[in-house]
Amino acid sequence: MGRLRTKGKAGAAKNFTTRSAAVKKLQCSLADFRRLCILKGIFPREPRNKKKANKGSSAPTSFYYTKDIAYLAHEPILKKLREHKAFAKKLSRALGRGEWSSAKSLEENKPIYRLDHIIKERYPTFIDALRDIDDALCMVFLFASLPSNSRLPAELVENCARLSAEWQLYVMHTRALRKVFLSIKGVYYQAEVMGQTITWLVPYLFTQNVPADVDIRVMLTFLELYQTLLSFVHFKLYTDSGLVYPPPLDTKKDEDGAGVDAFALQNGSRQSTTKASGNTTANVSGKVVRQTIKSIAAEVDEETPDVEMSNVEVSREEEDEEFIPHPSSKDTMTTATLPTLQALSSLPTTLTTNLFSPYVFFLSRETPRSIFEFIVRAYGGRIGWHQSSGSGSPIDENDPHITHVIVDRPVVEKEETAEQRELRLRRKYVQPQWIVDCINAGKILLEEPYAQGKTLPPHLSPFGEYEGAYLPGTANEETDEEEQEEEDEEMPAVDDEGAAVDLEAIVSAPADEPTSLRAAELAAEAAGVDFGTFEAAVKKAKRKEKKPLSEEVKEAESDMNKMMMSNKQRKLYEKMKYSNQKKQAEKTELENRRKELAKKKRKEQKA
Amino acid sequence: MASRVAGRKSTKRKQFEDDVDVAEDLHHNGNLEMLSDEEEDGNISSDDGEVDTFPGIVNESDTDPDDSDFSDQEEDEVDEDEDEEDDEEDESGEEDGSDDGEESDDSLHVFPKAKTIVSNITNQPKIVYPEIEPEYDSDSSTEEDPNRVGYIPMHWYDDMPHIGYDIDGKKILRPATGDELDKFLATVDDSSAWTSAFDKNAQTDKPLTSEELDLIRRLYAGENPDANYDPYEPMTEWFTGKGKEEIMPLSGALQPKRRWVPSKWEKQKVMKIVRAIRQGRIVPSKPKSTKKFEPYAIWSEPSSSHPPPLPAPKPALPTNAESYNPPEEYLPTEEERKAWEALDPEDRERDYLPQKYSSLRLVPAYDRFVKERFFRQLDLYLAPRVQRVKLNIDPNSLIPKLPSPSSLKPFPNYRSLQFRHSQSRARCISVSPDGAWVISGDENGVVSLWEIIVGREVKRWTFKGKIGSLAWCPRTDVCYFAVGVEDTIHFIIPPNVDPAVLTLTQSVLAPTTLPPAPATPSPVKWTTPPSNTWSQDTPILTIDLPASTGIPSHFCWHRRGDYLASVSTGGAQGGVWIHQVTRRHSQAPFKKIKGAVQLVLFHPLKPHFFVATQQYVRIYNLAEQKLIKTLLPGIKWISSMDVHPSGDHLIVGGYDRKLCWFDLELSEKPYKVLRYHTRAIRSLQFHPSYPLFASSSDDGSIQIFHSRVYNDLMTDPLIVPLKILRGHQISEGLGVLQVRWCSKQPWLVSSGADGSVAVWCS
Repeated sequence: MGRLRTKGKAGAAKNFTTRSAAVKKLQCSLADFRRLCILKGIFPREPRNKKKANKGSSAPTSFYYTKDIAYLAHEPILKKLREHKAFAKKLSRALGRGEWSSAKSLEENKPIYRLDHIIKERYPTFIDALRDIDDALCMVFLFASLPSNSRLPAELVENCARLSAEWQLYVMHTRALRKVFLSIKGVYYQAEVMGQTITWLVPYLFTQNVPADVDIRVMLTFLELYQTLLSFVHFKLYTDSGLVYPPPLDTKKDEDGAGVDAFALQNGSRQSTTKASGNTTANVSGKVVRQTIKSIAAEVDEETPDVEMSNVEVSREEEDEEFIPHPSSKDTMTTATLPTLQALSSLPTTLTTNLFSPYVFFLSRETPRSIFEFIVRAYGGRIGWHQSSGSGSPIDENDPHITHVIVDRPVVEKEETAEQRELRLRRKYVQPQWIVDCINAGKILLEEPYAQGKTLPPHLSPFGEYEGAYLPGTANEETDEEEQEEEDEEMPAVDDEGAAVDLEAIVSAPADEPTSLRAAELAAEAAGVDFGTFEAAVKKAKRKEKKPLSEEVKEAESDMNKMMMSNKQRKLYEKMKYSNQKKQAEKTELENRRKELAKKKRKEQKA
Repeated sequence: MASRVAGRKSTKRKQFEDDVDVAEDLHHNGNLEMLSDEEEDGNISSDDGEVDTFPGIVNESDTDPDDSDFSDQEEDEVDEDEDEEDDEEDESGEEDGSDDGEESDDSLHVFPKAKTIVSNITNQPKIVYPEIEPEYDSDSSTEEDPNRVGYIPMHWYDDMPHIGYDIDGKKILRPATGDELDKFLATVDDSSAWTSAFDKNAQTDKPLTSEELDLIRRLYAGENPDANYDPYEPMTEWFTGKGKEEIMPLSGALQPKRRWVPSKWEKQKVMKIVRAIRQGRIVPSKPKSTKKFEPYAIWSEPSSSHPPPLPAPKPALPTNAESYNPPEEYLPTEEERKAWEALDPEDRERDYLPQKYSSLRLVPAYDRFVKERFFRQLDLYLAPRVQRVKLNIDPNSLIPKLPSPSSLKPFPNYRSLQFRHSQSRARCISVSPDGAWVISGDENGVVSLWEIIVGREVKRWTFKGKIGSLAWCPRTDVCYFAVGVEDTIHFIIPPNVDPAVLTLTQSVLAPTTLPPAPATPSPVKWTTPPSNTWSQDTPILTIDLPASTGIPSHFCWHRRGDYLASVSTGGAQGGVWIHQVTRRHSQAPFKKIKGAVQLVLFHPLKPHFFVATQQYVRIYNLAEQKLIKTLLPGIKWISSMDVHPSGDHLIVGGYDRKLCWFDLELSEKPYKVLRYHTRAIRSLQFHPSYPLFASSSDDGSIQIFHSRVYNDLMTDPLIVPLKILRGHQISEGLGVLQVRWCSKQPWLVSSGADGSVAVWCS
């Protein structure tokens, strides 16, 4: 006889924990729990049977694996969060009593958590980290473009901007960019780094505002993780390709709006200079640290502890990153292993990644420099820009080497000198889409359709669609031909209707047998129809006939065979059929619309 | 004290007044300032030696010097002692009891004229006052304020009609109060109404005095009610200040040592810290920058053995529609745009509307950018993730591959002829064992006999009531059929029968020597009309079932043709009967049975008996009289059932559209459940010789299946749908009511609710 089984001691009841139970178990607030979940990458699970997992209750709750929660219970960050709670209480008490010195010493010994171990846990190998970097890049690029405010400290935005610039520098340096797509949401970039395709979305250069219904705390927690992750990833990428990390920032250039160029990529040998520059910035940021601490001490009783902590944490991190006393034992180790990796990464520079290397571009004022500088330089081109879009342009507007000018404005007639004219004729003026389309096509396209003031050809997604989807470019010719045919057919119908009707009547009779076909041919001749049209009619009739005879029978049979499907199979079959039909309907809808548009155009042309 | 005494002895004093100087006494009175409710304060309080206008004394008295007061008093007392002896009976009670009353007496009753009489007892003159009569012209009634109940708590009289008692012990009635409206009008008229308050003693509104008003104002303003109170009085220093210091200690004890010797324990604690600092365990003013975060080669150490968590699913990549300059066909039409906007954001298939901009500089900021990022993050940490295997197969590959119906011929596939019953549903049919004749019965009680090839009616019988069922006897050496009409079963011999067969049939149904009646009398009666009245129109044998059993709705012959099982439904008791023709005996096999029996069947080979109740099928062994098996088809209401000629397979159809195939060797659960009819299944039958079965339904269609059963136990039976026969009309929700196979050919006969009976041929 087996052991008696108690209810709720095994199986789903034990493996799943509801969220409230988890919070109770961890003895932390819901906000802390959320923060832990975000940082540790723990998400709710769907039990197969909710009733079994929730002690017979079917109330809607979210479930977590009990093991996940047990794993959270051992998290050092949880301890730090508890410490922080105690700290917040102590600090607020000290401030309330006006004990400034004790408040200051408390503030100095504030508990701070680090995320290194979490990065290592979540991404045991570098490839794992790279695979998951998409969201991190999106977020960092977004926050780099957000305006700073009380909830979003300027240091945070600065750090995001630095991380995004570092990433761009790396991609440009290794020529890793593969695809670019200008969408209505922003610019999608796809790069291939160490065999991983990484896609990220960058908003257009406008001020984004954070809507009220977005919980910025959640975003900041994610950003905290992402910043740490990205700084580790960048460190690895830079050191692997023999570069110094972090690339030293030229503050003067940065102030002038040099953007990405404010960072200087340096090879690993020149480390002493970076150290010096790092030290100079250290003083400055030390002051900043003190100021922030002061401001935080003032804020403490106003803000909830968790939010406040995130701000501080973030600001601290980025300050660290700004001035890193570089040489360390670890670094020398990594640089020793470098050359081979560097050689590896430099090997696969194929022709397509040097697509723009023979050309020199110039950006006119109205084109967004951050996008096109990145793209062109990632493909080996040289690029200059107008003074108004930032300093540090390597190429002057009147440079004779310029081959392409990227313009995005309508053509305006104006007086020009002979010199200017000569320059204009020597250069090619293209709209920005040309660059992106060239990259996606993997070759230099004709500049003519993209010339200034021209109506652009449609810009298609380089990422492709699902299999069998409507393809705007390719399907055209075939259908066009058919259409032409149809129209041709329509024409004679108008001319001699009677004959056409006769022909159809004649042709409808013949089956596959050659004798009847022969008879029909004779009849057609008698009716005065020429042989060509007769042949076409016969073909058409055959096409029509083939379907009903064999296919209908088959269909009916298979319909009957569906009776013998099991319930599961039938449901699956119906689902598949439904989705297929939906896709097909979408496709046909698009095709029909295209045809209509083409017809309209043709009519307009005729008119 | 003097006044009290004076007051108490006032009556005596008044008796004296003739002898002694009355004026002195009066003056003394005035000096005491006895205040009463009366308002003639002036008279009483005037203590200057002016003329007293005391009414009762005017005639005799003159002013006297003040000095004589005390001596006078003393004299009084002396006199009193004498008096007490005189009139003890009068006054003893009064003297102790109420001083106050007498006091008031003294002051109040001065107005009426007193008479001086000589006492009978003491022979002394005494003053007697008249009774107070509260008449209109009396003094007291003319006074302004009559309420003299005294200082008593007025709430004693809250529930009473009066407010106290006057001096004479008479009730003072509560003055009449007007209603609210009067009160209001009074306040309107009176300008000082808002500064007056209700006086309980007086029972009227009295204006507040200026002091009271001031008090109210102070309370209202939150000030001290006492106007003279100074909250900021200068402090009086008692023990501090110049010259008042305490110099000497309070106690003379010596100072303890601890007051002036440094603490040993404190020193120990400090030394502990000092030692820690010296040894470097505590670093004072630790530089903060050491804690700072910096990236390092985190992946240089080997990773832990446990596998990484699954990466989060990546968001879908953008398609052509998201382009800033998409092909024109992607742009939504006006209706699509409206439909998109009308949808809730979470229901939208796409979170954006395709838009076309002629150049890049015209592309605006995307307003939902932050929100979309936020939703992505919510997905990352709040959404449960499910791993799904993506099936990339052709959906048609899911359809089972079955042999083509054309290779499984013959099966009925067209309607060869149709026979019509007029104006009523053709309920039941039966095909003769040789397959040449069909009988069909309708709800009007008409049974028609017709040939299957020709379709012409040969003979018609008309019964009273619905025809419940028909069944042709399976024996080939005799020829007759049973007709079930209300509570009765008729046995009829069709016309044009071979004479040899006819005689045999007649001898079977109506033997000349009846078998002996059973020992126990049966409620079922078997009757045969006399042989001279036999005709083709009348039944040769009739079984009368017990009354109110209902219409026999189902017949089932045993394969030998001797036993006929009938199921009656709709009646009060209903039930199953097994009739034995040779013995002319009927028996009910079940004493009682759970559930309403729908159908019964004889096993084709074994002495088994299938009984279908509403939800279950039970198999009984008739020889051993016990239950073998209960099948669970999982059908809500069984409508039809048939057993395969091999006896190992059973099909059960239900009103809930299900058809269950049971392999009796296998399990109590169906081997296969099919649901292909769109309405209830009405009838099922296996073909006796061909591997076919048919099912008919209320959707008006008949479905033909190929059903091959293998002798090999390992091979599953093969069921192939062959043909859907349509042609019957649906009338009043009923379609094809019964199907029967022709035993020799693959032909099917079906009867419909539209009154038509069709023959389907191959």
